[in-house]
Amino acid sequence: MRRWAAAVARSWVAMEDFEAFLDGGGLVEADDDMPDPYRQAVFAFIEMHANSELMGGLTERDWIPKTPGLRHKMAVLAKTQDEIGHGHLLYMVAADLGVKTRTEMLEDLFGGRSRFHNVFHYRAVTWGDQVAIAFLVDAAALISQQAVFKDCSYGPYKRILRRIIAEEGFHMRLGEDRMMRIAEGTARQRRMFQESLDRWFWPALQLFGPDSKPDDPLLRWHIKSERNEVLRDRWVQKFVPMLQGYGFSVPAPDLRWDDETRRWDLGPIDWAPLQRTLAQGGPDSARRIGEAADNWQRTAWVRAALSKGGARSDSSTVADNSRVSANGGASASGGNGGG
Amino acid sequence: MDVYEVFVKKDGRDEFRHVGALEAATDELALVLAREGYVRRAEGDRLWVVRRDHVIVADDGFVAPNADKPHRHHDGAAVAARRRAAREAPE
Repeated sequence: MRRWAAAVARSWVAMEDFEAFLDGGGLVEADDDMPDPYRQAVFAFIEMHANSELMGGLTERDWIPKTPGLRHKMAVLAKTQDEIGHGHLLYMVAADLGVKTRTEMLEDLFGGRSRFHNVFHYRAVTWGDQVAIAFLVDAAALISQQAVFKDCSYGPYKRILRRIIAEEGFHMRLGEDRMMRIAEGTARQRRMFQESLDRWFWPALQLFGPDSKPDDPLLRWHIKSERNEVLRDRWVQKFVPMLQGYGFSVPAPDLRWDDETRRWDLGPIDWAPLQRTLAQGGPDSARRIGEAADNWQRTAWVRAALSKGGARSDSSTVADNSRVSANGGASASGGNGGG
Repeated sequence: MDVYEVFVKKDGRDEFRHVGALEAATDELALVLAREGYVRRAEGDRLWVVRRDHVIVADDGFVAPNADKPHRHHDGAAVAARRRAAREAPE
């Protein structure tokens, strides 16, 4: 008899035994004594996913006041909450691996010491950009996540992905709905969106990363189920005809239809922009990280109010506030407004 | 802050299901955070949160002896064969 995580559940003598367990469809749980290289690889993967959800949510938030129309504004509010929520869920799953605490992960992110998806190293300058992101980038993220979910050997991540994928599905449909409205709009709107496509097509494509290495441990350990180039191609085959169908052009000079394979061929891909974002040297990396760090500082009072250590939040105050909030739906920290 | 495990029950028939975990300072805040993180689109109508350090976990292999107790099952094969024979027998 033991308390949660007070002892290890299963352990494996050798890496070969562990890999045989994974190949047999075994699911690893948080309290298993998994080999350290596996633990580190799963952790790094989930941490980057969590960081990307948070950075994406912060970008999304910037567009709430600029979103046209009340219906879409409400949808963006919900989407922002979803993305920040995904960050929370994933940081929890990552923290349970015992490599870094949640706070350490956040400090590394805001200190520019850890990675997040390449697309959040660019700046969205028009509403058209935001629509292109919602459509192309959310779809790319969804394709990647579905492929991880399909055969993910780390149980807690697989279960959380089920929920995240369901919510990302809403986001992708919202993105296509918005694109359809722009496509049916004025010549000026269409021109704006074509410019957005020209800016975002390649970053969205590069979200899948370069071709997987022949012996990628993420594939061997069933963390990913498909190679990067396979997922990337799936996106290309889906989105090239779809963008053309809406009357937009794909910004790839070497794009051609291969009659033999019956597939779209994009031609060579320049990976230098992706490498720059991985080194935090993307066009908007410094501003994005700085904004996220500032936001973290500005919201310290909320965290203080939500924790027992808060100046005004002795346990009785917090409990009273939260009881109000559970009934009325207002934020539990509302009572400390202004901080 | 304490870690809480979150359970959601879908409707009148289904069982409570574990959906994930969260960190909160009090039981009440844990419920609020569970609602905003895990029950965003009517995923269920009942919610439990349980402090992780209150969960008692059976050691690995604790339930294993019960996986091999064929005498606790009965496939009813002999009786089914007798009934079938009776049904098929001429009047």
